[in-house]
Amino acid sequence: MRTSGAFRERLFGAWVEIRENLGRSVLQALGVLLGVASVLGGFSISDSQRKRADEMFVKMGGLDKLNVQPKAAVRDGQPTALQQANLGLRDADAIGGEALKADAIQGVSRQKFARSRVVSAYGDQDRQISGIGGDFIPANGYAVARGRAFSASEMDTGAPVVILGTEAAQTFFPKGDAIGQTLRIGSVPVTVIGTFGERVFRFRENQRNQFWWRNRIIAVPANLVQRRMNGDAYRRIDRITFRIPDMAVMGSFAKQLSSLVKANHRLQEDFRLDDVAARIRRRESQGDVYDIIFMLSGVLALVGGGIVNVNIQMAGLKERVREVGVKMAIGASGREIFKGFMTEALLLTALGSLAGLVLGVGFSWIITKSIGIPLYMTPASFLWAYVLAAISGFLFALYPAWKASRLSPMEALRYE
Amino acid sequence: MMKTTSPIIQTQGLTKVYGANGTAVHALRGIDLSVAKGEFVALIGPSGSGKSTLMAILGCLDLPTEGTYTLDGHQVQGLSGGELARIRNEKVGFVFQSYNLLPKASIARNVELPMLYAGVGRKERRERALILLEKVGIADKADKLPGTLSGGQKQRVAVARALANDPALLLADEPTGALDSRTGAEVLDLFRELHSQGNTLLLVTHDPSIAAQAERKIEIKDGLVATAEGAA
Repeated sequence: MRTSGAFRERLFGAWVEIRENLGRSVLQALGVLLGVASVLGGFSISDSQRKRADEMFVKMGGLDKLNVQPKAAVRDGQPTALQQANLGLRDADAIGGEALKADAIQGVSRQKFARSRVVSAYGDQDRQISGIGGDFIPANGYAVARGRAFSASEMDTGAPVVILGTEAAQTFFPKGDAIGQTLRIGSVPVTVIGTFGERVFRFRENQRNQFWWRNRIIAVPANLVQRRMNGDAYRRIDRITFRIPDMAVMGSFAKQLSSLVKANHRLQEDFRLDDVAARIRRRESQGDVYDIIFMLSGVLALVGGGIVNVNIQMAGLKERVREVGVKMAIGASGREIFKGFMTEALLLTALGSLAGLVLGVGFSWIITKSIGIPLYMTPASFLWAYVLAAISGFLFALYPAWKASRLSPMEALRYE
Repeated sequence: MMKTTSPIIQTQGLTKVYGANGTAVHALRGIDLSVAKGEFVALIGPSGSGKSTLMAILGCLDLPTEGTYTLDGHQVQGLSGGELARIRNEKVGFVFQSYNLLPKASIARNVELPMLYAGVGRKERRERALILLEKVGIADKADKLPGTLSGGQKQRVAVARALANDPALLLADEPTGALDSRTGAEVLDLFRELHSQGNTLLLVTHDPSIAAQAERKIEIKDGLVATAEGAA
């Protein structure tokens, strides 16, 4: 083995070579630099978008939800043919579903919607009324900011009480405190017992509030809607939401629930299941396509840079044939020459990649800043960018280094 | 003086043919020669005589087409590129007409390089390089770049580098060709001194007055040994 710090010497030699041919070296590093920057930038922008979307779903009340809805959602009280045939989503479905995986289910909420004229001293509008039951409030990311939530007995009896979103409170009670006031929904007078905190989410900083409509909520106990607004004898509801934190259970639960509800509905599939997490997975797999596109463009930049590098190195080799000849004459083997050229190219790649990572961070920062989402970078992106650069740097250095190592010492020495 | 040791250079029927059958050029047509340890031999011949080709083969830069060549007890013909490199590194020290120093490396580093390829440790390399530079009289320039030296000084560095791995054969190809006559004479003095210390020298030249400095002259003409005077 010929060791004796030979690697260190090669590294030093490579550094001298790079320093002495600064212009050429910078050009060579530039290809790597741009490639790394574009891979890192692409990944980071994609990661930032995805992270932002995840934040949105968390703010919506979590991903761990399975919704059951009637297939043809009818919210104006007109029963569908299936409903007339004594079908449709009912409490029994919720209770049955809960019994299926009682341990895994952290909460069940029911919703019954109505559309109604809403009147106060200040406002008179046609509004959607959300009849809510179970743990609807936390499961959907709401929080009572002032006043109180519904008590169990109010839920149960369908007491005439209401909790307003900020927009609804502002619309119907612009002056003074809404709590304790009376609102008329259709012909039913209800008392305001609380208001929700404002819901705000902007995907990008300069966008409008994407949760604005959540502030319009007029929430009453589901049983109030059922009994006094647009209910029917079968106590049909419009949505059941199961909350299952254990994602592994979700799939099998969805299957069992589906067959249970189908059995309840006399084998009619008049309902649909909506797995929020699955929806997000689908969305993320669409995101993966962008990742691939970003990676591909980065790889193409690296390949383009690599080809340019081969050209530069081959041109540079012409100037260095004699040097190679001299080194061979004093005892450098072809392998030694090869290693020398490889060291030089890889050192350049390493330096170019480092600069590329810095540029990539700057690049991602500018883009995320300009579209107004927070910058989010993962170590994996850095790793990918670096590894891809290293691979391309290595592959594209092989040919010139091999060419140099194959020079005949005699001809190289005579080369002018 | 009787030479009892085996010769440093021993060739038999060396030929070198360039090109393919139709346009083949026979640069060497069967060279037999022998150089003993400690000899100072001049290889002389006009350009086109084949002496450069012979020098390349004797220096293990190239392989003969046919014939055998033994350098310091090692069979050279049939070796791979890597093995040839190793022999050059350990057995041959080159001094070229145009110095062939690496312009980007310091003087000391130029001298260290053959030792690096031989696997000599860092500290030892540096020490030995300084000793060699001292020997050729330019130790004070160790950390300068070759570009800052005069022609004569560059050739001294080249000699120091050639001696780095204590080679069996010192091969000088027109070493004074690029120097004025005074510095050329100084370099030749240096060679004579090295000879007196027991080094084996082969000086390739076309200049009879320089060849006259050697113990023995071997004249090459048309790819053959024409005359060999001052027999070993």
